[in-house]
Amino acid sequence: MSMLDRVIDWLDVRIGVRELAKEWGSGYLLPRNINFWYSMGSILLFIFLLQVVTGILLLIHYVPDSEKAFASVAVIMNDVPYGWLIRMIHAVGSNMMVAIALLHMFSVLFMGSYKAPREINWLSGFLLLNLILALCLTGYLLPWSQLSFWATTVATNSAGAIPYVGPTLVEFLRGGKLVGPPTLGRFFALHVALLPALVVVLVGIHFFFLERIGISTPPFGHQGKKTPWRGDAFRYDAHPGGIPFIPNYLLQDLTSIAIYLAVFLSVVFFDPYLFFPKEAFVPANPYLTPAHIKPEWYFLPNYQMLKIFSNEFVGIAAQGIAMTLLALLPFLDRGKERHPLKRPLFLACSIGGILLWLGLMIWGHFS
Amino acid sequence: MDNEGRRRFLGICLGALATAGAAAAAWPVLRFLSPRAGAGSAAKVTIPEKELPEGEAKFFEFAGASAVLIRKRDGEVAAYSAVCTHLGCIVQWQKDRQEFLCPCHAGRFSSAGEVLGGPPPKPLVRLPFTVAGGNITVG
Repeated sequence: MSMLDRVIDWLDVRIGVRELAKEWGSGYLLPRNINFWYSMGSILLFIFLLQVVTGILLLIHYVPDSEKAFASVAVIMNDVPYGWLIRMIHAVGSNMMVAIALLHMFSVLFMGSYKAPREINWLSGFLLLNLILALCLTGYLLPWSQLSFWATTVATNSAGAIPYVGPTLVEFLRGGKLVGPPTLGRFFALHVALLPALVVVLVGIHFFFLERIGISTPPFGHQGKKTPWRGDAFRYDAHPGGIPFIPNYLLQDLTSIAIYLAVFLSVVFFDPYLFFPKEAFVPANPYLTPAHIKPEWYFLPNYQMLKIFSNEFVGIAAQGIAMTLLALLPFLDRGKERHPLKRPLFLACSIGGILLWLGLMIWGHFS
Repeated sequence: MDNEGRRRFLGICLGALATAGAAAAAWPVLRFLSPRAGAGSAAKVTIPEKELPEGEAKFFEFAGASAVLIRKRDGEVAAYSAVCTHLGCIVQWQKDRQEFLCPCHAGRFSSAGEVLGGPPPKPLVRLPFTVAGGNITVG
């Protein structure tokens, strides 16, 4: 008997690892028509781990002090061996995380996987998307460049449009009347401690729901054996005769991660400044607003909406309504049909919504 | 090639590839974490002679560690590493007794760097220095 077998035996007697491996691995059956899009979640988990590791590494050399932050980032980029690589993986990775989270959401949207009984899974995913955006926003300020400073000024300022509490809320977010050293302190704490911890908790909850309810069957191809959900009692959505997660779908996940890495690393190595406008290389100056300051691509639609509506409150309210509709989608769309081509109204609305969002983004970029 | 052999060969290839990938990822991280060579330490330190009166000691940073210059009552100058040879604390100069005391475990060194008492196993490390033009240059 090999050493490994003996260790596994020892653990098996105590905590039943073989049963766990069967339950979560080879015995965890997925629908036979499961597709590539189902591995977006695994890619996201991988990106999050990469962000945590590179983030911890950056903490070693980064100084969260408004006097020294920009210089410490310059040291990381120029002096620390491979500092540029670690930072670029972190900065480009954040953009990729938003992009993949959106792809993950769109695939759930078009395959109708958010429908009953998976409403709470959709809600936890919606919260995760918002946490990712909050992580991006708070991380953006940390290099203390002109771009970070003024993007944060604009982003925190938009909260001021909320009636009555707006101005107080803005001051609370910034820790002062204007963006300044207190803002860096609180954004740093949020970015490295509170928000990542919340993401970990919520990812756990998201996975718990996935495991508890079972994976949804894609509405395309061979449907397999159906056990329609009736809503009278809890019923695990089993896939008898499906394909096992380990090793079959795990290999698909690893393939997807490898494809992702190829795309991601080509940006990191061949166009690392893709997401960096030139203001990102100038230290923050609270007395000089650069011309044409714009947020990151994923906030451009929000930015453009605020420009379109002359009343700032209307702009904020429109965004609030859009996000609320997205969060409550499973409660509004209660039909049983999940095939996108058999839901023409839904398809028209969602494609229209995505095109509108992309249009606002492009408009915001060129305006 | 039989099926078993092919599986084994592919397994070895996969393992080698994974090891190479892990090494490629670990190398930048290791370099990122390594202490920066030559950071914050001068190769030579120059101290004006007038800063070192008779019987006094002057502590300074040399090559990333602590060092000390003393001028004995007879006017002779000596330079040592100020790191105690026992467990690495920094020794103190006791002007009245003209000897070094390590406060951590009461190790005692003479003004010549020799162990007088306590646990230190070796004398203090001597540093090379030159005296020229009213300056003492260590290193």
